[in-house]
Amino acid sequence: MADLADIPNEFIRAELDEFVERENERRELIGLYTASAPHLLEIAAAIIDGRNHDSDRLTLEALEGGTGALEIMDDGLIAGMALVGIKFRENFIFVPEVLACARAMKAGMVHIEPILSASGVEPLARVIMGTVKGDLHDIGKNLCIMLMRGAGFEVIDLGVDTSADEFIDAVEEHQASLVGMSALLTTTMPNMGHTIEAFIDADLRDDVKIMVGGAPVTPAFADEMGADAYGDNAVECVEVAKRLAGVVR
Amino acid sequence: MSERIDREAVEQRRGRLTRIFADMVEHAQVQCLVRCPYRDRRDLCTARFGCRNQGPVDEVAGLPLCECDGKLDYRGAWEVEDPEAVLAQWRAESGVGIAEGSEVDPATSAPRPGSVACEGREGASLFELADDHQVRVDSSCGRMGSCHECIVEVLGGAECLEERGELEEFLPEGFRLACQARVSEAGEVAFAPLRRSAHVLIDRRESDVVPRPSVARRGEEVFRAGERIDSWRGRLIGLAVDVGTTTIATELVDLESGQSLCRGGFENPQRFGGSDVISRVAYDAKQAGQLHQSIINALNTEIISLCQQSGISRHTLYEIVVVGNSTMRELFFGLDIQTIGQRPYKSATEHEFLAGTRTGTELEAGTRQLGVIASSSGLVVSPPLVASHVGSDVAAGLVACDFDLGSGTRVYLDIGTNTEVVIATPERMVAASCPAGPAFEGGLVRHALPACDGAIDTLRAVGSGFAYTTLADADPLGICGSGLVDLLSELKRTGQMTRMGVFTAEGNRAQEVAVVDDPPITLSREDASQLAQAKAASFCGQFILLRMLGLDPGGVDHVDLAGGFASTIDIEAAIAIGFLAPFAVERVRRVGNAALDGARQLLLDVGRRERVERLVARIEHIELETTEDFFDVFTEACQFKPMQLG
Repeated sequence: MADLADIPNEFIRAELDEFVERENERRELIGLYTASAPHLLEIAAAIIDGRNHDSDRLTLEALEGGTGALEIMDDGLIAGMALVGIKFRENFIFVPEVLACARAMKAGMVHIEPILSASGVEPLARVIMGTVKGDLHDIGKNLCIMLMRGAGFEVIDLGVDTSADEFIDAVEEHQASLVGMSALLTTTMPNMGHTIEAFIDADLRDDVKIMVGGAPVTPAFADEMGADAYGDNAVECVEVAKRLAGVVR
Repeated sequence: MSERIDREAVEQRRGRLTRIFADMVEHAQVQCLVRCPYRDRRDLCTARFGCRNQGPVDEVAGLPLCECDGKLDYRGAWEVEDPEAVLAQWRAESGVGIAEGSEVDPATSAPRPGSVACEGREGASLFELADDHQVRVDSSCGRMGSCHECIVEVLGGAECLEERGELEEFLPEGFRLACQARVSEAGEVAFAPLRRSAHVLIDRRESDVVPRPSVARRGEEVFRAGERIDSWRGRLIGLAVDVGTTTIATELVDLESGQSLCRGGFENPQRFGGSDVISRVAYDAKQAGQLHQSIINALNTEIISLCQQSGISRHTLYEIVVVGNSTMRELFFGLDIQTIGQRPYKSATEHEFLAGTRTGTELEAGTRQLGVIASSSGLVVSPPLVASHVGSDVAAGLVACDFDLGSGTRVYLDIGTNTEVVIATPERMVAASCPAGPAFEGGLVRHALPACDGAIDTLRAVGSGFAYTTLADADPLGICGSGLVDLLSELKRTGQMTRMGVFTAEGNRAQEVAVVDDPPITLSREDASQLAQAKAASFCGQFILLRMLGLDPGGVDHVDLAGGFASTIDIEAAIAIGFLAPFAVERVRRVGNAALDGARQLLLDVGRRERVERLVARIEHIELETTEDFFDVFTEACQFKPMQLG
């Protein structure tokens, strides 16, 4: 039976001891980490600690050293995220820290994706996402992006305060098939409609599917503005995106 | 790089990630109901937009502190008055990532620190300007001008403000009440809230408790009451907590050696529910659970910081002893406190005890059950309360003073917003609670201040004026409790004030006495009357109990004075004005924060827990107001003169 002391990474050992209190989860994670190669645990540690530059560098080094892409995903990226999930659930860290960890995971995934593509496993779709003009709220949108990327979408994040032109330029540049827009203020919500109109004016509306979300947005309002779909939360956002991309019916 | 990757293998991993993330999103949705999602683990704000809850910027992280008090309306705070200005500022700094919640107006170039433009805000109070710019200013009176907590220093642009009103007359030049000072014309005003460095009690009597904790190490395992609870992690740690209405004091202790590792203190975060016990009870009726949650959250933050300071793991924290007045303690345990607000002012726990449905009023709960982040097999315990408002803090304080082991006659006095008196003779032990109010702690009296820098703490009449000292040797701003006791006693001694609180000086109709000329600090007749009533509560408690037991104060063998205020008060002065009964000065001992000390002893030695049970069972609680001649006693008590018995 593997023991905490057998985990060949001091940081992960301390994190696990400090934050994972349920016996079954401790056993499961100890089993996972003791079976992992030390250099992959370094990647997991970088993700748990939210260090995206380290995650980027270590993933690249592992690939160059001959470690397989799936093994890196299992024992590095996903293994790190599993502990992050527990820390979050137990209120040791909060949304801003989780998003930093997700960013670190993405920094590693960037190197994995091309290998998956080369083997014929393409991203589900390419998606442009952003918070609309005049709005600086981004947590909900960032949670959506985290889930979309985990589910296999390639997401280009335009950030906050995104103008209609920026959305249109990004769609053209990246040849994206999906657009996701978020708004949190009742005063900025109409800018979703203005952006959709701009797509029509640019004669691009038929090339993309547009989904919307955010606290004040309702299905009725989404429909009225001419969006293709509405998601109530980040989990629904992924389901909506899969439907729009034709992955599921 | 010729790895062949199976589509199904990738799908499987995407599925695992999706499950992890979906759990996170579900948790985030629940958490967002009570905690702003932009607030990080250090309580800093990561939002890129302005929010009224943003406090001062943390210099290391470069992010503003989130000062949201946990109320659920944080989203409302996001809707800043002028979103266009915030946006403009953010765009200007685009890439920086943080629209800072500073006091700097983007329209003015190179403004002075703390200055704000007030164009178009004519008629607004400084408080409202502070709100606009996310500057935190305290208030506990609903911005009515009576609590004196919102004092700000005006650093520039005073000419843009209306003249000072009656409520602000007490303040020296350059200071205003943020709730009263209003903008009269456009310009730029610079102001800063007073930073009050609270003087937390740090003195403690050395006591040599032989550790007999509830947990013990046996080989590589940890046991409690014969049951294995954990594997050995290198240490056994305990935490003593005194939950005061205003301040919380903590002490981390090594349960094996008995050594104190470190101590802390912080302001009770429940102040948003009012400053006294009765308003907290009323608040909890409307917003049940909020006060409990806020104190647990604050204690968790404290545990993390204490453990970091002493370099220990919080998983070795096996026991926490919590003491406090009845309301504070029951709130900590998440119990219903409504019965404390109505006669006979007893907690639900005490009612159950009196009805025979529980064997005592001590409380116990698992750390996990309360959400306290100590060892998952840790316990939170609280010794029994005495009765009514007289809580487990007094019970613990009595143990710390060995009240039950002494001989002869003994008095224990814990002086605070609520003063508790316990008196023992070889035959009887009686206790009472006296609601004194905040007059000696900065409330109700014009120039009174809590113990903060610049508060006059000692004072003596010299010639026609006064010689005084201030805390931190700062320029005088007002007078704190011990200074007020000195002042009243000196006025009385030099004949400048009668025992009725009437000033004898000629001219100016003797409505007030000047204590300091520049800045003007005075004591008015009305102030004297407020102080008379506050000290009268303490007087009544001592007088009624002493009389009941037929004791002469001068003959009392031991007097223990507990509480922060008591550790600085001049005892002879307090006796001269009838704040304290005329005890023999050499038999009065100041014991500091006896409640915390007692909690520490109970943590270290389970034997004392049985002692405290026997002790509280012996105490009779006296409801002062039911004394037949209470009104006559109170009238006598309001006079500034030594107490006379018999």
